[in-house]
Amino acid sequence: MSDKNDHAYIPRLRSQLAEGQINRREFLRTATLLGVSASAAVMMAGEVRPARAQETPKAGGSIRIENKNTAADPATMTSIDASNSTRQTLEYLTETGADNITRPYLLESWKPSEDLRSWTLNLRKGVKWQDGRDFTADDVTWNIKRLLADETGSSVLGLMKGYMLNETAAADGKKSHSLWDANAVEKVDDHTVRLNLKVAQIAVPEHLFHYSFAMVDPTASAKFRVGINGTGPFRVVEHNPGRNVVYEPNKNYWGNKPYLDRLEFVDYGDERAAVPAALISGQIQGILNAEPQQMPLLNSQPSLQRYEVLTGDGPALRFRVDQKPFSDPKVRLALKLAVDNAAVAKLALGDMGSAGEDHMVAPVHPEYFQLPAFKQDVARAKQLLAEAGYPNGLTFEVAVTKTPAYHVLVVQAIVEMWKQIGVNATINVMPTSAYYDIWTKVPVGLTSWAHRPLGIMNIGLAYRSGAPWNESGYSNPEFDKLLTQAESLADPVERRKVMEPIEKILQEDGPMIQATWRKQATFYSKKVGGFSMHPSQYIFARNLWLKA
Amino acid sequence: MLNFALRRLSQLLLTAIVSSFLLFVVTEFSPGTVSRQILGPYALPNQVAQLDEKLGLSQSLPRRYLNWVSVLVGLKANPLGDPALGLDLHDSRGERYFGNFGYSLMFKQPVRDVLGEPLRNSALLGAVAMIFIVPLSLLIGILAGANAGTRLDWSISSLCLIITAIPEYAAGVILLTVFVSYLGWLPGTSPLLASEQWSVASQLVLPVTVLALATVGYVARIVRASMAETMTKPFVRTALLKGLSKRQIVTRHVIRNGMIPPLTVLLLQLNWMVGGVVVCESIFAYPGVGRLLLQAGLFGDLALVQTITLLSLAMAGVTQLVADISYVALNPRVRLT
Repeated sequence: MSDKNDHAYIPRLRSQLAEGQINRREFLRTATLLGVSASAAVMMAGEVRPARAQETPKAGGSIRIENKNTAADPATMTSIDASNSTRQTLEYLTETGADNITRPYLLESWKPSEDLRSWTLNLRKGVKWQDGRDFTADDVTWNIKRLLADETGSSVLGLMKGYMLNETAAADGKKSHSLWDANAVEKVDDHTVRLNLKVAQIAVPEHLFHYSFAMVDPTASAKFRVGINGTGPFRVVEHNPGRNVVYEPNKNYWGNKPYLDRLEFVDYGDERAAVPAALISGQIQGILNAEPQQMPLLNSQPSLQRYEVLTGDGPALRFRVDQKPFSDPKVRLALKLAVDNAAVAKLALGDMGSAGEDHMVAPVHPEYFQLPAFKQDVARAKQLLAEAGYPNGLTFEVAVTKTPAYHVLVVQAIVEMWKQIGVNATINVMPTSAYYDIWTKVPVGLTSWAHRPLGIMNIGLAYRSGAPWNESGYSNPEFDKLLTQAESLADPVERRKVMEPIEKILQEDGPMIQATWRKQATFYSKKVGGFSMHPSQYIFARNLWLKA
Repeated sequence: MLNFALRRLSQLLLTAIVSSFLLFVVTEFSPGTVSRQILGPYALPNQVAQLDEKLGLSQSLPRRYLNWVSVLVGLKANPLGDPALGLDLHDSRGERYFGNFGYSLMFKQPVRDVLGEPLRNSALLGAVAMIFIVPLSLLIGILAGANAGTRLDWSISSLCLIITAIPEYAAGVILLTVFVSYLGWLPGTSPLLASEQWSVASQLVLPVTVLALATVGYVARIVRASMAETMTKPFVRTALLKGLSKRQIVTRHVIRNGMIPPLTVLLLQLNWMVGGVVVCESIFAYPGVGRLLLQAGLFGDLALVQTITLLSLAMAGVTQLVADISYVALNPRVRLT
């Protein structure tokens, strides 16, 4: 079972599993992260995946699912919805499953070097584009280089900038980016690509599954449209932006053929109220996600099945630490201590939420370290405010986006609790697009941080000194040092040791209140089989089938 | 008459120009740029700036407006269609033609292609709604107006007032709860995609009902007021003294004279049906112009918002022109100069 090509860390990981230092789930995640195929990892874990008592999928039939769709170039996609419409046709090199484990997909395997600075990507052989052409290393290098170019405008650039690119500023202050090394994206042979990194990075496989990382055909336009050439299980046969997309199976698909004869995504726009009505009357068989306030209505429908999963989706109410009074750590701690996170989660999300601990590492993350409970302490909060020179409290404004609706509730709950320590905050509810024009500049704002599979990912994006998405201006050399150390540790047990001080720093000194974790839930008709709720709301229609 | 129509049209053109420029200005001051919308919250500032440049958004406001007008009348090719920019925008009608409304950045298609279907859908919704609204409101209004001051009038008027006071979104939610959630008689949304269970016709029932509820009460009250006022005119007394029955007086004399104010209101409703039914179309996810306008506005898709606004203006101008001309037909004393 063990292969001499396996990463040097694998044997140690196996002994940790044997000694009970890590659980099976963590073993699987880390082993796959280090390039062991998922099935081999399951065998190493010494357990055969239990065969679930389930019906055999049937081929045939047609279903409709609610999902917004646009005509975007996948490189510039900005929403889960848009990626779901391309996902059925365009595929990714890797895939993070509903179980939070990342596996090779268009890749057969990957292999990082010991120092995590060189990643060899072995392409799956036999993968074909819809037009019959082989999927090769040239396609992969072209796609990666395209996504990392400034003019493409992809969010992949921000994600990989730190380890793939150099930033230069022209005389007029305009910034531009280029590969840090001419050989950074290297074609080894027709089915092997190597990424040579500027600094160590452990989350490369997860990044390859970022929603903008869909592989497009270099020889044609990347715009999502009828007949777009992808490697995926479905092809687009009809596309009315803002209204619907219709798919039929790709007869040349390299993998298992999809069960459905026809798949349709119906676009209901931003009008979330229309969606449950359509599901209840059977116009659609599934919805992207259910809002907390829609749960009672949908729960009461006997024809619908509820699916849910706990995630690391936790909005952060953060303060610009370069502005008074938030530059004072005492003020930040006082504002945190005044809040009862469990109560906020309950008020804003009901049974769809659980309490956060103000450090952005979620219990679902493999490296999560459980700190002692962080309790509300109004007396100490008042005292801290007084010590900081604000015995009479504070007034300021909190910006928050209109959607998702529960974000406003989170802010309202926190603002009410602050009143106990004399802090009077007003709430500025903004259109989402307007907020994200100024999200890094507002003194106080609640920002959405989507679920990411590793705990180090969001905190690296949001709180490392000078990071492009560091919206609070937080800069703490001690934290940066520990974070870099954590990012170089493949071992979840070792990484967890470093996570303890990291979580502590963020909880006590960090620039944000992160009060809630959110469960994702959705509803599908009981006639639909093969669905599981993905923490990122991704839909894999190749698994869906229709019961008789 | 012709003079009058021409003058009306030129006024309309002036209004269109002024309002289209005002729209440009308003968009300038609205928060959020379209480049940020396209690239999303996680794009770096330099990426956004680069796209701004490509889209010509870094040019001055009057310059952009002038560009837009030149493209519209066919003097200039749309710079966004240049393949060198890599925006992947293409217009099958060619580069320069009159009536080129530009590209919708939200849908990456020429505005004319985007608008076609929603316009047809909204026209369908408006037409079906009008089939119910016109006879219903006239009937109710005439009935109340001809019997002004009676118990019948009082009950009809109060009912109309109550129905008019229910906002569209409330009416929509109430109907959804009753007919979709509890009874299961009707489909919950109207995407106009036929399925085995729900025909397209069944999908029109709820939106048409909401529009009818929102309009009938109001129009009926206008009809009633106008009818009631006409009933007090001296010619009615003359007719009565001449020995005509009440029925004859109402059908032959009063209706014709009392229809002038309601006609304007009805035509205004028509104008609202195509392009203004934002709430109703959104509640039922009806793929019409109103919902498109909302989407375009939220996205900052200026070309699309401009075009829909111009269309609404044109519609308003034309319907009011029709109303003015109808006045002459209904009342020979009105002289248009």
